[in-house]
Amino acid sequence: MTDKKINFKIKRQDKPGLPSYWQNFQVPYKPFANIISCLMEIQRNPTTKAGITVAPVTWDCNCLEEVCGSCTMVINGKVRQACTALVDNLEQPIALEPMSKFPVVRDLQVNRSRMFENLKKVKAWIDIDGSHDIGEGAIMPDSDRAKRYVMSECMTCGCCLEACPQFSLNNSFMGAATFNQVRLFNLHPAGSMNKEERLDAVMGEGGITDCGNAQVCVEVCPKNIPLTESIADIGRQTSWQFIKNLLVK
Amino acid sequence: MIKPAKDEIHYILLKLHSLTGIVPVGAFLVIHLSINSLRTVGVWPFQLAIDALNNLPFLILIEIGFIYIPLLFHSLMGFYIIHVGKTNMFRYRYQRNWLYTMQRLTGAITFLFLIYHMGTTVGAKLWEGKHQFEAAPFLIDILNGEFQTWQGILVYTIGIFSATFHFSNGVWGFCVSWGILIGKNAQRNGAIVFAAMGIGLTFLGLATVLEFNMNPIPVEATVAG
Ligand code: HEM
Ligand code: SF4
Ligand code: SF4
Ligand code: FES
Repeated sequence: MTDKKINFKIKRQDKPGLPSYWQNFQVPYKPFANIISCLMEIQRNPTTKAGITVAPVTWDCNCLEEVCGSCTMVINGKVRQACTALVDNLEQPIALEPMSKFPVVRDLQVNRSRMFENLKKVKAWIDIDGSHDIGEGAIMPDSDRAKRYVMSECMTCGCCLEACPQFSLNNSFMGAATFNQVRLFNLHPAGSMNKEERLDAVMGEGGITDCGNAQVCVEVCPKNIPLTESIADIGRQTSWQFIKNLLVK
Repeated sequence: MIKPAKDEIHYILLKLHSLTGIVPVGAFLVIHLSINSLRTVGVWPFQLAIDALNNLPFLILIEIGFIYIPLLFHSLMGFYIIHVGKTNMFRYRYQRNWLYTMQRLTGAITFLFLIYHMGTTVGAKLWEGKHQFEAAPFLIDILNGEFQTWQGILVYTIGIFSATFHFSNGVWGFCVSWGILIGKNAQRNGAIVFAAMGIGLTFLGLATVLEFNMNPIPVEATVAG
């Protein structure tokens, strides 16, 4: 038991913009190990399989229970969270790569600020403050509450963008997560006051028209958010908005 | 609220791409395959339909305005869309992802097929100056020949399949991107209905090919009066 090993193949990059390279590592087998626990093991003993001591592999993680999204990486070719990827269920050598559609910071860490910029563009929040008392909010039907609950589970992990054939490092596509947020906040009685601004924000280059309906996003979303429903709904809302813009404005 | 006009133009161009796929280009495909399938009933109804079309007033303007310009627009935008995306169907093997890639592939194949098909039909017709009642015998003669070789049959089979697949899957895409089919069940049921429509259209097209192959009957120009 004790000499059983877990083999890793890790794609590394020292700095943004530098070329990447692969390194092999081996860590002692432990039952129920996940990718993060193995990365911690490599951090304690950063020696490659060939016996060379190198700089420890860096990665991001936080919650360790698939709710923060920060540990998202490409594991054996598929994007997912490292904290819930159990070694026992993976084929070895386990290949770890940073997500390919976000700029690499170092090793397995990427910069996902593009997602946050998009959230700002679509005002993914509800304005509740004013210079005067704006009173109580409107009541929300329970069916809307239930729909919104599922949509609100997005952890901005980026899986849906990494796996989307329309999303790339050098285009401006906003992607499924952003469209889902537009739907989430437009469905809120108070949030719907900024509905048109949100729709206008996704009606340009990189917006809703650039989705090609490949529906990979919904397959890979770890939160099982009905992203393709959100996309189609935003398709409907923007179509009406367009007609309204034409005829009313 | 001030918004850069560039975004509005982008939105309108992509919406127009989507719309032109249905009308007029998709509508034309359905009408075209339906009229051609008259050939399976007999060569006379077929000739009658071609005579009628070739005697339409302002035919060339109708063709340019309702077919060539929208088709060219849809195709050029289509190639732009193909260029923006990057297929990953071998990595993420899901059915919809495969259809996404097929939609692009069949669009490109249809484009190539249309260059060939228009070259041997309308192109030849205009080049030889065969108008009104002279068009039908001229075109029927060409088609009779084309369907006698296996190469001809293969090219038309691939062309027809690409066009009908692209159109049927495209109607589904249209319904999703305009928000007509929203829920998961609605999207799945829509896909079944449009697949059935696609199979029907493919059948119409291939039956016509088969009829031309088996009964290459030449015709005389209809004499008016
Ligand atoms: C027989 C001729 C054609 C018909 C009837 C047709 C019809 C359609 C329809 C109905 C759509 C769906 C629009 C949407 O997704 O909202 C579509 C999409 C598309 N068409 Fe065509 N089309 C034809 C020819 C072409 C050609 C020649 C190209 C050139 C490459 C092309 C490229 C595309 C592409 C790339 C899409 C996907 C758009 C997306 O998913 O975002 N099509 N087509
Ligand atoms: S449906 Fe396809 S193209 Fe659209 S966001 Fe999802 S993965 Fe991307
Ligand atoms: S929608 Fe799903 S896959 Fe996309 S960022 Fe949110 S949680 Fe991740
Ligand atoms: S560490 Fe939070 S999702 Fe993995």
